[in-house]
Amino acid sequence: MSRRGGVCVFAEYERDLHEQAEVIVVGSGPCGAVVARELAEAGRDVLLIEEGPPFTPADFALDGALSMARTMREAGLRATRGHVMPTMQAIALGGGSLVNSAICVRPPAFVFDGWADGFELAHTSRADLDPHFDAVEAFLGIAKTPDAVQGRRNLLFREGCEKLGISCEPIARNVRGCRGSGECFTGCRARAKQSMDISYVPAAIRAGARVYTSVRVEQVRCQGRRASGVTGRVVAPFSGRPGPAFHATAKAVVLAAGCMATPLLLLTSGELANRSGQVGRNLQFHPGVAVMGVFPERVDPQFGATQGMQSLHFLREGLKLETLWAPPAVLAVRLPGAGLALKERLAEIPYASIVDAIASCHRSLGTVRPRRAGSLEPLLHWRLHPDDLPVLGRALEVIVAVLFAAGARKVLPGVHGIPDELGPGDVDRLRGRSFRAGDFVMAANHAFCSTRMHGDPAQGVVDEWGRCHELDNLYVSDTGVFPRCTSVNPMLTGMALAHRTAKALQDRL
Amino acid sequence: MRSLGYVADVPIETAPIVLLLLAFGWRLFGGYPRPPAALLRLSRREVSFVAAAAEALFPRGGAVPASGLDAGVPLWIDRWLDALPAGTRRLVRLLFGLVEQATLVFPAPGWNGWRRFSALDLAQRGRVLEGWRTSRWFVRRLVFTSLRAIVTQGYFADAGVLRALGLAPRAIEAPVTSADALYPPIGRPKAAILFAAHEVRVHGPLDRPPAGEPLGVSGPLHPAYREEAR
Repeated sequence: MSRRGGVCVFAEYERDLHEQAEVIVVGSGPCGAVVARELAEAGRDVLLIEEGPPFTPADFALDGALSMARTMREAGLRATRGHVMPTMQAIALGGGSLVNSAICVRPPAFVFDGWADGFELAHTSRADLDPHFDAVEAFLGIAKTPDAVQGRRNLLFREGCEKLGISCEPIARNVRGCRGSGECFTGCRARAKQSMDISYVPAAIRAGARVYTSVRVEQVRCQGRRASGVTGRVVAPFSGRPGPAFHATAKAVVLAAGCMATPLLLLTSGELANRSGQVGRNLQFHPGVAVMGVFPERVDPQFGATQGMQSLHFLREGLKLETLWAPPAVLAVRLPGAGLALKERLAEIPYASIVDAIASCHRSLGTVRPRRAGSLEPLLHWRLHPDDLPVLGRALEVIVAVLFAAGARKVLPGVHGIPDELGPGDVDRLRGRSFRAGDFVMAANHAFCSTRMHGDPAQGVVDEWGRCHELDNLYVSDTGVFPRCTSVNPMLTGMALAHRTAKALQDRL
Repeated sequence: MRSLGYVADVPIETAPIVLLLLAFGWRLFGGYPRPPAALLRLSRREVSFVAAAAEALFPRGGAVPASGLDAGVPLWIDRWLDALPAGTRRLVRLLFGLVEQATLVFPAPGWNGWRRFSALDLAQRGRVLEGWRTSRWFVRRLVFTSLRAIVTQGYFADAGVLRALGLAPRAIEAPVTSADALYPPIGRPKAAILFAAHEVRVHGPLDRPPAGEPLGVSGPLHPAYREEAR
């Protein structure tokens, strides 16, 4: 590929590749794409390496399960052990931004104050990061979801919140020209979502970055305190069938492979940056629970922004509420029953509005380890801490109350141990009720902290600018560097930190 | 020592064990019908199980007329299995085998309720699944949730089911962005890129696709979901 920027795809690889650059960025998700674009814009010679392929609108599968099989690692069936919980990570140019709902939220100051107090971080306050948030928001044109594309499903949530005096707001998203197709999770056919593959990555290419897709980085090479490059292999889209070898050298390496893959790369590259023993530890999630309310009138929930409204009202309690739409088959997982009873419930989906809560479970910790020695497949272990359980119970109670306030005639909580259907008079039955972890059907796609930043090199993997404490030119830029969960959707925070990392690296090159 | 006679060296005392093993072998492998179509991944046993589960979870009639079999769930699961990584595929097959044989431990009601799942009648299969769903053991509920999730995905993959529920995707004409001049369809060379760079208008650092009208129920269906696409 020429040094003027461009993209390489699987069909072009015929022989082993040897590349050189000033900076190698591993992973093209929201963080890696920001680093690549910022450094390329600054005139640096950047190599961006992505294991997944680029998707065009023709490549999107509308069938939810087939879409997950194509865009997600382990076909979307990855789950934690310990407490079994599904967690999805994307494998595509643009990473998770291709198949997330584009939610962009700045965490409130108290989140960063908690980071500073608990992890000896003197330069990571909300005020420190605001310029970086500003830069990312301006580039992506992040804006609040307009009412025109909210759809009835999202507006019902607002009505419910207003009746109960709960603050709520339209969700800010990296979207331009949304048509309310509700297809964020299977890829935006309207090309409205500014996922990294159509925003930051093309901008990086225009600035001269070279992008290699369908290349899996398997090892980071080091000499003394310096990373010298990476080695890997071309892999076929979807099948992962290995192809020619890939070698690249650079002055600096940025690992942005995600909270699951980055620690594995460090561990399988000879326990890199792990004198603290923290690589692959402290894994945190935002477990989510979703509840469906059934309304007397037709809602047609498939129309409208996938996630258009949110409430930060209970954030200090550890709860963020959001509206939700997903492929119907995915939503149906939470419906009770089987047989004709299940079919009756399916027929109620057009009358439904779904609300979910993500919970800040920072006491519930897990680990990421290689499945086998040298493997890049993660073995995830995570347990819900008993002290975090009441947060989920509270989430259920609040969501049910909001749905009934909005006019739902019944609610299907999808929680073991309480009735399959709740009526308006049942809200009080949930108040203060205790649950067990296994009662909830949870999922968690926000994952953090597996290579956490910490001011003390003995307790963390990277410093505040993302540089590994033990190596002069190896950086980590993904949600793994968060010292604790963000309490809100993590993409924007990851991108702001990536923006800061890029600026720091630019100054040090 | 007495022997079975026709198998000279087998002591007659072992006959019950041999019969038990034969019966168990029959239960595991015997009597499964040949699948109606050539399949990519599902074995004869697995397709019988999947068909039985699809019919039990989505019987004919009710709010959505099509059954799991009408919706082609077994064929869909076969294609879906083919798209899975090998390790995940093994886990899914283990799940199918577990529920198929678990009636030995958690039998259906009735004198013949211990037969394998796919051999039970529809009502018995429904009762067995309800037992998994409402179990006080988390692992049993998890097995049920996983199985139902897989079958439900296949049921919703049917265009007729989505049309019946009013949930079929609408047609969308995608605006062209600068990215469309960069990437070919997956697996194709760059010569297959649909647009040249000069055909793409770039409006500053990011494309701004024209804001189309919000989609709604009155919009035309995606071509693959129209009645005539059958």
